[in-house]
Amino acid sequence: MSAQPAPPAYRSLADQLRAWSDDRLGQLLRERPDLATPAPHDSRQLASRAATRASVLRALDRLDAAELRVLHSQALVTQTPHWTAADVLGVDPAEVAPVLDRLVGLALVWQAPDGLRPVTTVPDALSVGPPETRVPVEPLTAEAWDRAKVEDRLAGLSDPARALLAHVHAHGGRGTTKEDPTTASRSGSPVGELVAAGLLVPKGRGEVRVPGEVGIVLGVDAGPATAPALLTSERDASVVDRAGAGAAFEVVRRAELLLDTWSTRPPGILRGGGLGVRDLRNVAGLLGVAEGEAALLVEVVHAAGLLAEGGDVDGDPVWVPTDAYDAWSTRSVAERWRVLAESWLGSPRLVGLVGRRDERSKKATNALEPDLTHPVAVETRRTTLEVLGSLSAGEVLATGTGVPSLVAHVAWLRPRRPSLRDDVVAWTVEEAAVLGLVALGGLTTAGRALLDGDPARAVSALDRLLPDPVDKVLLQADLTAVAPGPLEAEVARRLQLVADLESAGGAGVYRFTKGSVRRAFDVGWSAAEVHAFVADVSATPVPQPLSYLVDDVARTFGTLRVGHAEAFIRTDDEAALTALERDPRAASLGLRRIAPTVLVSTTPLDVLLPRLRDLGTAPVVEAPDGTVRVARPDVLRARTARARRTAAGATAAREAAQVSAVVTAVRAGDRAAESRPTPTPGERAGTPAGPTNPAAALTTLREAVEARATVRIAYVDNHGSYLERVVDPVRVEGGQLTAWDHRSEEQRLFAVHRITAVDAV
Amino acid sequence: MNGPLIVQSDKTLLLEIDHEQAAECRKAIAPFAELERSPEHIHTYRLTPLGLWNARAAGHDAEQVVDTLLTYSRYPVPHALLVDVAETMARYGRLRLEKHPVHGLVLATTDRPVLEEVLRAKRVQGMLGDRVDPDTVAVHPSERGNLKQALLKIGWPAEDYAGYVDGEAHPISLVTDGWELRPYQQEAAESFWHGGSGVVVLPCGAGKTLVGAASMAQAQATTLILVTNTVSARQWKDELVKRTSLTEDEIGEYSGATKEIRPVTIATYQVLTTKRKGVYPHLELLDARDWGLIVYDEVHLLPAPIFRMTADLQARRRIGLTATLVREDGREGDVFSLIGPKRYDAPWKDIESQGWIAPADCVEVRVTLPDDERLVYATAEPEERYRLAACTSRKTAVVKGLVEQHEGQPLLVIGQYIDQLDELAAALDAPVIKGETSVKERQRLFEAFRTGEISRLVVSKVANFSIDLPSAEVAIQVSGSFGSRQEEAQRLGRLLRPGTPRPGEERKVARFYTVVSRDTIDADFAANRQRFLAEQGYAYRIVDADELGV
Repeated sequence: MSAQPAPPAYRSLADQLRAWSDDRLGQLLRERPDLATPAPHDSRQLASRAATRASVLRALDRLDAAELRVLHSQALVTQTPHWTAADVLGVDPAEVAPVLDRLVGLALVWQAPDGLRPVTTVPDALSVGPPETRVPVEPLTAEAWDRAKVEDRLAGLSDPARALLAHVHAHGGRGTTKEDPTTASRSGSPVGELVAAGLLVPKGRGEVRVPGEVGIVLGVDAGPATAPALLTSERDASVVDRAGAGAAFEVVRRAELLLDTWSTRPPGILRGGGLGVRDLRNVAGLLGVAEGEAALLVEVVHAAGLLAEGGDVDGDPVWVPTDAYDAWSTRSVAERWRVLAESWLGSPRLVGLVGRRDERSKKATNALEPDLTHPVAVETRRTTLEVLGSLSAGEVLATGTGVPSLVAHVAWLRPRRPSLRDDVVAWTVEEAAVLGLVALGGLTTAGRALLDGDPARAVSALDRLLPDPVDKVLLQADLTAVAPGPLEAEVARRLQLVADLESAGGAGVYRFTKGSVRRAFDVGWSAAEVHAFVADVSATPVPQPLSYLVDDVARTFGTLRVGHAEAFIRTDDEAALTALERDPRAASLGLRRIAPTVLVSTTPLDVLLPRLRDLGTAPVVEAPDGTVRVARPDVLRARTARARRTAAGATAAREAAQVSAVVTAVRAGDRAAESRPTPTPGERAGTPAGPTNPAAALTTLREAVEARATVRIAYVDNHGSYLERVVDPVRVEGGQLTAWDHRSEEQRLFAVHRITAVDAV
Repeated sequence: MNGPLIVQSDKTLLLEIDHEQAAECRKAIAPFAELERSPEHIHTYRLTPLGLWNARAAGHDAEQVVDTLLTYSRYPVPHALLVDVAETMARYGRLRLEKHPVHGLVLATTDRPVLEEVLRAKRVQGMLGDRVDPDTVAVHPSERGNLKQALLKIGWPAEDYAGYVDGEAHPISLVTDGWELRPYQQEAAESFWHGGSGVVVLPCGAGKTLVGAASMAQAQATTLILVTNTVSARQWKDELVKRTSLTEDEIGEYSGATKEIRPVTIATYQVLTTKRKGVYPHLELLDARDWGLIVYDEVHLLPAPIFRMTADLQARRRIGLTATLVREDGREGDVFSLIGPKRYDAPWKDIESQGWIAPADCVEVRVTLPDDERLVYATAEPEERYRLAACTSRKTAVVKGLVEQHEGQPLLVIGQYIDQLDELAAALDAPVIKGETSVKERQRLFEAFRTGEISRLVVSKVANFSIDLPSAEVAIQVSGSFGSRQEEAQRLGRLLRPGTPRPGEERKVARFYTVVSRDTIDADFAANRQRFLAEQGYAYRIVDADELGV
């Protein structure tokens, strides 16, 4: 076989695990976390768990195309003693060696005495073929054929013969023929031709088989050994960072705007638990983005625990910002961004599905709907970003072709992922661009730091690029105020009261109008206060038209006073009152003049007041004692959802601690097992004792499957009779043992719970 | 990281003009961003699809635009905006109108799915002929304009490479005795000529007529000039006779009064859109000669029927002249697709600072309605209110006071309501020009005003457009059509033409008074006006009539 010193061989996978260093064992547990929970007792149980179908399927899902191919080849190799995985693939063994090493590290392949052997569930999980094919195929000739020889013989075939061979291979490698296969070699028929070439082996009674070596050559497609390259173009890394910071700034601003709006006007929760289509459209309008992006924002703030289910004043279920939002909104922009970005990274939800119609129900999917979660979301998102992160600085995805190449790349890395994966990859790039982790097709420095689990570095990288807050604005004669950067929160809040926000982003453009100035008066500011605030906040002299505007509004403000008790309107301005009384639009208000300066109305105040404002007047509401009443809408809050997700860093730390704890536990279990007096098989012969608990029985049976060992089982049959059988276990699955029964000479099924003892022979 | 530009996610660009790189940045963004407002500290530009396509038409690509934004931006530029810019610009030029040796006019594409999408669009149904090959489809020559218009609407503007007919040759040259083209006029004419067809945007008073004349001298062909009204037509004629080798006999006027067709014909929009028994009898003018160039004066006023005619004139070179691309009817896109993209643009303030037009000082004078009028106003029907507020007797007194303050300076009083104008004319002892004034009388009065024979003139809105009153230094506006931005631009334009500096003064500063009734609908319109003027960067003051001391 090989000239190299043979690697140490083990009796079983458990033995091999026991021989590993703590580091290697820890690595296995990190890569296959399902093996570690709950902590296994000892190496035997760990090995047994690693061989279960469910766990193997999970492990296979994380292999890339090249690894899968090597594993596949290794599974085939067990059919013929003369080949290695490298032969199957037709490549240099040096290429395959590191991959095989990794597969061993994942406990998918172990070092049996007769060479590397995949755990028994692997071929099944790979759908390599039915389990019985693991029985070695008879060599077709005395000498071992190598790949070149098989290919040589295949090349010499006629077309009908080649087609027939492919057909037989595709149908399990067995076929029957009416001809007598032993004599067919002289008949010149396709079957005869194949038999003569040794590519079909006659098995008597009209049966022919495809020998193992031929099947391997026919069945293995070499495929690309490396992932398809990403199509990239050049882009200055600092430009990428700046574009990303722009997006990050926007996403924080929009999240804040959204939650502020929902603080006073929360949207209802659908009976199915989502956000209504109309509400989503309103969000899109409010934020000035497409609906898909609006859905993403809503989902991200929800994932970040800033939005939760709550009740409105009437007790109806609504989506309301949580108290965590108040804490969040006091932090720096970069910190706030980190919270959003981390939540998105760890969210199992596929926002890209929002708005799509469900295949069966024909119903459009809503944002915040409970069933948007998908098991592949987090892993695929991470993989995608990590691939992007593998590009060197200054290299980004090419416009247009870059994303499809990324999709193909990820498809190679994770071939076993479902078809939705391609969509998830594209969505990840789009969503990451909205969040500012990716910009112009490249991962930003902040995004990279976040992926590396270093949130502090991410925050500082972003912080450097974000505009510094300013506390002064530039006032202009066209009654706008321009804040040349993000305003400090307090100034912004006050400015938004006296002026309307016209354009937001890195800077803010505010416009003073009669309405906006009146709004300030409405909540109790005086003209002097407005003047003082404007002068204080302005970096430039206050333009004269603005002072005029404030004075104009102040002059007319409160000229009309609206009574509370009887809904009266009084003013010193007779002409204005006459105007109001005569206004045809006011006819429905039921106005009646009771004095030269007083009108009364039959309309309730809450209807009357807005109607009067609509008519262009500026009334204030008077309290019974004649003072002016001011009102502000109440702010609603929900309680933070209890299951707060912890930061990625903490999770990683916890995982690390857990892995070492499990390793320690397994080692302790092994030592305990060693110190227990184990009877040798000879001692135990005749005493059908062995393990009596089902877990131990399962472990022993799985071990036997892996070791291809023969065991004796004690068994209670359907009639309650107690039997003992000597069997070769083939697989253990779904509570049943499939095994070759030496007595009946056939394959039989045994219910595991009826097995009372298992014993090595 | 400390540039003068702030790029907002809503596609506005804020340019801080006191920044040292401001001038450089303005130059860099001007090709693709539309200047929206230019008040004293921060100028606002906007990125629009039309603006980006204009830039594409002028040979800029998305990479340049993105680069400019990134270079001058103070803060990180939102990624989505950059993507949007690239995508929008990539839409221009996927489709091209070309001349095919066999099939004549064809629509060709470099991107087959786009062509497929367009072929399925409802808007272009019936404009396209047979498919020549997978990437090319024949176009009915008469639909060239309609097709371009329709393609713009569905977001795939076509680039027009089909070329122009030369038209009937006619020698025209500029006669530069004692004057020469200003540098920006020269540039404007050249930009237009290289672009083929398109619009030149220059402020009022910047000499758009000369850009037209220079283009004619380039074309050396028979020319049809479309203007807004008869007075304007006469002025074009005078100017052309004075500035070019054309003689009076070579220039024809085609208006309500006379119908001459000469190598250079000046027609009014009005006569072309006159409809009799459901047909336009004067449309044949467009086919009367083999025109080599068509000039549209004040293209922002181009009436809709002329748009349809323009669609049929796509094989001829077209130049549009205007002070503003803003159309009150929002049909900026039609100007783009039918006349052509913007070929030249110079903001008012730039030309003003070069000394070609006069700076202006805008003053809003507020009067308070007397109590009796206030009561009448309060009880009036809504449609009467503006008239009542605008025509208050208080205004007459204020105007009189202002006129006295500016004694000796050439002064215009502009208004909307004839009664009010008559009253003012009587009070000021000044002649009045209104709709019923004959063209002859108008020209006499304008001439007298120009020569300084009379120093004040009361005019109605007939004076809004294209009338050259070079020596007006003061304008007093008493009423207008509801604060329209375009009217305001035109009226201000009356003042901005630099007259001969008077002894002892370097440059005149134009005064633009608006007299407004406080607390009425008049004041609301004044607010629009104030915003417009302040956005244009003019100093704007408000004074009370009482403070004027009149």
